Amino acid sequence: MSEAAVNALIDIRGVSKSYLSGSVETPVLHGVDLRVERGDFVSIMGQSGSGKSTLMNILGCLDQASGGAYLLDGADTRTLDRAQLAAIRNRSIGFVFQSFNLIKRMSVAENVALPLIYAGIGRARAHARAVAELERVGLGEFARRTPSQLSGGQQQRVAIARALVTDAPLLLADEPTGNLDTHTSDDIMTGFQALNRERGITIVLVTHEADVAAYSRRLVRLKDGQVMYDGPAVEGLRQLAASHASRDGARP
Amino acid sequence: MNLIQVLIESLRSMAANRLRTALTMLGIVIGIASVVLLLAIGDSMQRFIGKELQMLGTNMLYVMPGGDRTAGQRAREGKVAALTLDDAEALNALPSLTGAAPALQGSFKLSAGNETLNSTVSGVTPAMFAIRNWQLAQGTMFGEADIRASARLVVIGQKVADQFFYRLDPLGRYLRIENVAFQVIGVLAGEGRQIDGTDLSELVLVPITAASANLVKTPFPQNVHYVAAQGRPDVALPDAIADIEDVLRSRHRIRLDDPDDFRIQNLSTFAETANKISAGVALLLGLIGAISLLVGGIGIMNIMLVSVTERTREIGIRMAIGARPGDVLLQFLAEAVVICLAGGLVGIAIAAAGAALITRLADFEVYLTLSAVIVACGFSTVVGIFFGFYPARRASRLLPVDCLRYE
Repeated sequence: MSEAAVNALIDIRGVSKSYLSGSVETPVLHGVDLRVERGDFVSIMGQSGSGKSTLMNILGCLDQASGGAYLLDGADTRTLDRAQLAAIRNRSIGFVFQSFNLIKRMSVAENVALPLIYAGIGRARAHARAVAELERVGLGEFARRTPSQLSGGQQQRVAIARALVTDAPLLLADEPTGNLDTHTSDDIMTGFQALNRERGITIVLVTHEADVAAYSRRLVRLKDGQVMYDGPAVEGLRQLAASHASRDGARP
Repeated sequence: MNLIQVLIESLRSMAANRLRTALTMLGIVIGIASVVLLLAIGDSMQRFIGKELQMLGTNMLYVMPGGDRTAGQRAREGKVAALTLDDAEALNALPSLTGAAPALQGSFKLSAGNETLNSTVSGVTPAMFAIRNWQLAQGTMFGEADIRASARLVVIGQKVADQFFYRLDPLGRYLRIENVAFQVIGVLAGEGRQIDGTDLSELVLVPITAASANLVKTPFPQNVHYVAAQGRPDVALPDAIADIEDVLRSRHRIRLDDPDDFRIQNLSTFAETANKISAGVALLLGLIGAISLLVGGIGIMNIMLVSVTERTREIGIRMAIGARPGDVLLQFLAEAVVICLAGGLVGIAIAAAGAALITRLADFEVYLTLSAVIVACGFSTVVGIFFGFYPARRASRLLPVDCLRYE
């Protein structure tokens, strides 16, 4: 194994994915290659049906590829069983979803503590670490509330605290600002930037908004299940804007 | 994920759907209540029968006049079947018996002061006290001299004493039986219905000769209603029965091919009958319990399946943050078991109330034994595991990506 392969946190080689709908096989991803080094901040953009959510699910070990290889931190995910995949999600990956996905019956602190509970940490210690993590995202005083008593932005910060509480090196965010207003989105994205810079957390997020992608360092654009662009975010977004402008300009 | 955490989550999830949880539990509650009650009743019956047999004395036999044929048949054949005091005396001399005691019985009017009561009065001999193991709370019993003198003496049960001589010392006072004054010389100890239908505390005992002279007033003062006999513990009961048959057949001059003109009743057959009845009751309640548990268990399975569907997204979230399939399985299984156990505890409480009610209304002591409670808890857990397993396994086999997409 080369030096670079050891360093890559995410190493996807020729990954394809197709779904069976009835008897018809619908391909979604066609041989996607993607390497993400530690400490990178990547946005994945693409239109609906481009396969970006599917790619995200595979990256998060929520779903498995139909073909190709996915090495996460050097470990081949194809050889792992469901319990081992769960352990990887627990320890190595933090998830942030568009719809926050907090458990309504539980208090904010219990939501944040849940990954630690699944990691086998005792209630008291898990709770203490959850409260500490909530304080880092500025929500320490809301620990005892239920998610429904919080605003959307606050709920998303709780979700971020939950994603970070196990000290996972990788944060995966699927449209994290999709349900938030512009101002709150900016807050969340600034927070992501800080996490990436200050705590060295590798972030991969899926978005369809250029404004959100602009916070990242690198941009991957998908179209019809294939990588169209993979490079610096600034350059990619410029190209994207230009293509939109030319398309708009072409219209009468 | 440790067990305490699993339990906390189960209770929380139950609390979130209180009505549904309560209704789901109902089948288990009824099932466990009837199972526990059946065990309690079965236990109590066994205990009751055991105590009765002890009180009656072991190896008790009743010899009664008249064989398998009716009085009418015997009259046509010109025979009068009777047992006499002499028969009893002859049986008393048998080496295979510890004793044989004759008795007369009838319902007579008792009175003392303003109180009047119709009750069964038994004419007995001191031998009966020994055979039946009757103890006196106060006073004495009548002796052989009293029998010979047809003394008008009476030994009464505690209930009778309370009825006629409430808060008075009954000894030395007079109880009128059919307007004949009998002097109270003793009060029997103990109470409770016995297996032959008599209640110790309701007994009224007079010398058999006094009963025959003053109460039964038969033209055959030698005749008795029955003879109670007790086989020796070291002699097999069938042998004792054969001895009794031999003595009575020869005394009654019954020819070899003719049937007996008396019947011998073995009290242990009473106990066997009572055991059969209690087993029947237990079986019925057990069947009700089993059916309720089955129906309740299916209800649990149904609701758990609904719950899994409802919480598909939650399952997805949990899996995404690190719940292993085993964690999800355990969570739903624990929930089913907790519902069943809670239902079981309510069922036990209802059974305890039922037992208290039976004790109060039926003059029959029923209480829950520890073993019944343990069996009930075990049953609840087994039902929970059995019917919760399929839904829990289904939940654990869901794919996280599908769960998270579920709306």
